[in-house]
Amino acid sequence: MTRLSWGRSLRHSRLQLVLTVAAIGAAVALPVILISVGGGVSAHELAQLQNAGYQLVVSAQGLHGIAGAHALSDRILAMSSVTAVSPVLSIAIDAFTAQGSLSPVLAEGVVPRDFTATLGPTESGLFPSPLPLGDPTDSVRYADGTYAGPATNDVLVSTPYALAAHVFPGDTLLLSPSTDPSLGVRFNVTGTFGVAPSLLGPTGAFAVLLPLSDLQVLTGFGPAPAATVVDAADTIEIALTSSAAASPSALAQVRSAVAALVPYYSVTSLDQQAEQLHAASAVLTGFYLALSSVGLTVGLLFLALVLLRRVESDRRSIGIRRALGIPGRSIVAGIVRDGALLALLGGLAGVTAGYVVVEGLARWATAAVQEAASLAVFDPTILAAIVGGVVALSLLASALASRRAMRVDIGEALR
Amino acid sequence: MNDARPPLVELAGASRAYVAGSPEQVVALRAVDLAIPSGEFVSVEGPSGCGKTTLLNLVGLLDSPTSGEVRWGGRPVGSLSDRERARLRLRGVGFIFQRFYLLPTLTALENVELPMRPLGVPRAERTRRASELLGEVGLAGRERAFPHQLSGGEEQRVAVARALANRPGILLADEPTGELDSGNTRAILDLLERVRHDRSATLVLVTHNPEVAARARRHLTMRDGSIVRDARETGT
Repeated sequence: MTRLSWGRSLRHSRLQLVLTVAAIGAAVALPVILISVGGGVSAHELAQLQNAGYQLVVSAQGLHGIAGAHALSDRILAMSSVTAVSPVLSIAIDAFTAQGSLSPVLAEGVVPRDFTATLGPTESGLFPSPLPLGDPTDSVRYADGTYAGPATNDVLVSTPYALAAHVFPGDTLLLSPSTDPSLGVRFNVTGTFGVAPSLLGPTGAFAVLLPLSDLQVLTGFGPAPAATVVDAADTIEIALTSSAAASPSALAQVRSAVAALVPYYSVTSLDQQAEQLHAASAVLTGFYLALSSVGLTVGLLFLALVLLRRVESDRRSIGIRRALGIPGRSIVAGIVRDGALLALLGGLAGVTAGYVVVEGLARWATAAVQEAASLAVFDPTILAAIVGGVVALSLLASALASRRAMRVDIGEALR
Repeated sequence: MNDARPPLVELAGASRAYVAGSPEQVVALRAVDLAIPSGEFVSVEGPSGCGKTTLLNLVGLLDSPTSGEVRWGGRPVGSLSDRERARLRLRGVGFIFQRFYLLPTLTALENVELPMRPLGVPRAERTRRASELLGEVGLAGRERAFPHQLSGGEEQRVAVARALANRPGILLADEPTGELDSGNTRAILDLLERVRHDRSATLVLVTHNPEVAARARRHLTMRDGSIVRDARETGT
């Protein structure tokens, strides 16, 4: 009934329309950005978990991490259903090129053969196989915990770092636990490995890979000053047989067995980590929506004011309609329809703006933000839910204006 | 007058008082008794503020009496809800206002279609009937014009067409020529007389112009909220 009148009436006040749509759009853009980027990062991490070549992780963050990593790995490997165990020590150190330029790098100490055995399908293509590190089992240097064996001092560098520092296979690299080069040890660069931008950020791309015992000795996480042996690692990644990996009960059984072996460390399955990630993601989404509700409230208040103002300026038209006998519900329907239309336009504008902002961040923001923005996922269901929610909430904004319209006195409006 | 059928509209001791910003009531209509049979052409005359428009509003169910009763077809309408009164107005009453009161954002055709929409008249039928009505009031070819593109006389013709949209039994015209020049006044009065005659409708016309009132067959004169004269012309 009121479609024609109200629709045109809105078009006649374009500034109000544009401002209202902009206010709602800004309110919608925020959750679109937060949820798409947050969801994208979570989905990416989840994909990484699902593509990992191992199923269980023993972890202990702290000064000494997991002590006795070599021996512990051997004991876990001896368990049934376990096919590979890879201790990993990750430490930020400094690398000096032959020309003396210094770069902080993320050093990963691994047992070369075990490391490749626990790579997932996505990662395995990035590394040469076998790894060109002189001591595949890391047993020579480690020498049963004496660290008395000869060091090969081989290192692999990531391709981004190699290109940035002009370090290539055949060159040498001085690695030091601090910025003091006198504490460093010279390593032979024996190869490079790829780093997919989606797997490691630009900072993480400056990475080197070397035998675990070499890194332990270099950083003091092997033999400690008091002549004790720490043999530390951050994590121990455990790969299971495919049948055990596919069976939740078998997985739980192995996990319990490992946990009994290392009661002071955390033992988690990647499924658990995925669940935790899901839960964290849901909490974050709720937080984003709560945060966005403030903006949304302002946008809807703006909409309510515009609709109220419209009723005030259209008192005569409303009075005429009512005098002619047009049912109140038709007048209310027109107001609700206009509110919903503005909310819909605002919602669509917000989704578009959110998309444009995320694309802009992925291209022109700082490296870390670019990295996160490039992972953004625009889930049509979530976007539709946001827009639908805004349209539904517009009913509340229309209620006040509708009530006011129904209270217009016919005689007064026509006077 | 001896017809057994009840009058189309009847006011029995109808009064209307307002509280206008002061504790004292302003009485706009005082215990009016009035019966308007179907098919009559009634003029309501009197000076400004004498209660003409209030009387028209009560007859047209735009307002309710503070005391007394209004009956339509013999049935009291005082107990009807706003919704029922609106429906009765929509089907039974055609309003023509002094200031035309067309909706400015609608075309002439859409203004005429407007009262048909709530009754569920199909779009094609609406458009056909509205076009016919506009042709009947002499505005064929002006269907797409907006009110601001029409002259005062044309606007009032559109208002007449809109009033006829749902084939009402009664037309209520409140100073319909008050804003028009003499040429347009004659034309609108001719039009109202013609449509009343063609449709056997009742026409109640409020005016303070004696020349306009002279067209009616029954003349009500009001003063201070009361009908002080009710005169019928005899003959044809």
